[in-house]
Amino acid sequence: MSGSNRLAGLKARPKDTTTAEVRRVDEVGEARGFVDRSPRKKPGRKPSPRTYQLHPKVFPEVGEAIAAEAERLGITQGQLIEQMWVLYREQG
Amino acid sequence: MPVIVMASPKGGVGKSTCAVILASEFARMGADVTVLDCDPNRSLSRWASHGLPKGVTLHGDIGRAEIVPTIRAADGDGKIVIVDLEGVASQLVSRAISQADLVIVPMQATALDAEIGSEALALVREEEDALGRKIRHAVVLTKTSAAVKSRVQKELEEQLRGAGIDLIEPSLVSRAAFSEIFAYGGDLTRMMNDPEMMTGGKVDKALENARQFTEAVYERLK
Repeated sequence: MSGSNRLAGLKARPKDTTTAEVRRVDEVGEARGFVDRSPRKKPGRKPSPRTYQLHPKVFPEVGEAIAAEAERLGITQGQLIEQMWVLYREQG
Repeated sequence: MPVIVMASPKGGVGKSTCAVILASEFARMGADVTVLDCDPNRSLSRWASHGLPKGVTLHGDIGRAEIVPTIRAADGDGKIVIVDLEGVASQLVSRAISQADLVIVPMQATALDAEIGSEALALVREEEDALGRKIRHAVVLTKTSAAVKSRVQKELEEQLRGAGIDLIEPSLVSRAAFSEIFAYGGDLTRMMNDPEMMTGGKVDKALENARQFTEAVYERLK
């Protein structure tokens, strides 16, 4: 048995792959116990992406001071930290 | 070109061995063979990690959602797609069967293998009814004795034929080379010609068996 010319005679039969057909196949399989056994994803909320910010509890008095100053200036703590960052870079 | 699916909800019956034999022999004949490893045990991926025969490509980690589009993408002129399935009753199995031109159900000559394997045969027939088209299917007995045909094997063959089930002959004999090919990769021809590859059995006999089996599968794909 050798030579690709023999293989040239092999043909694939046309097969529909519509969503309806896949659903029918699933139903037939389920009736015989061929059920979805895909591994389940881990339940619960996915972890948030890391921001690398220090939690205010690390330096509570610093966190409180930043919050008070931001409130006094009428800006958010993030905006205040951005201004601090600009000053820090200018000093560097 | 045809899609050949190895199916049985029972593990350890020889699905991966059949897949490796067919992939390497059809590639030797000049076919461009794509093997889909859908078994979480990754037997074929382990075989491939030691080197694939020329003409064979392998895709692994294919799940229920990907099986149909992956088969469709792999199918094409001059290509043979071989799907090695997991040994459980799952929707991945039923979906793969729906895309097959030939479903091969390997089973050892034991009552348990026959009983569980018959679930795959029944599923194929039910999918034929649901889809309104024929899906050719056949049983191959695996890990049979090279010396004598056991009474159980003779009875099982009679029962299968009596039920109108297509039985592929020859059966796949229990050969050390069929097991060890997963440790060496490549194909049986390379195993036979490389003195570094040590097997505990007769590789030439295994190769002859593999070629006759592939020829019998080829006849069913024409």
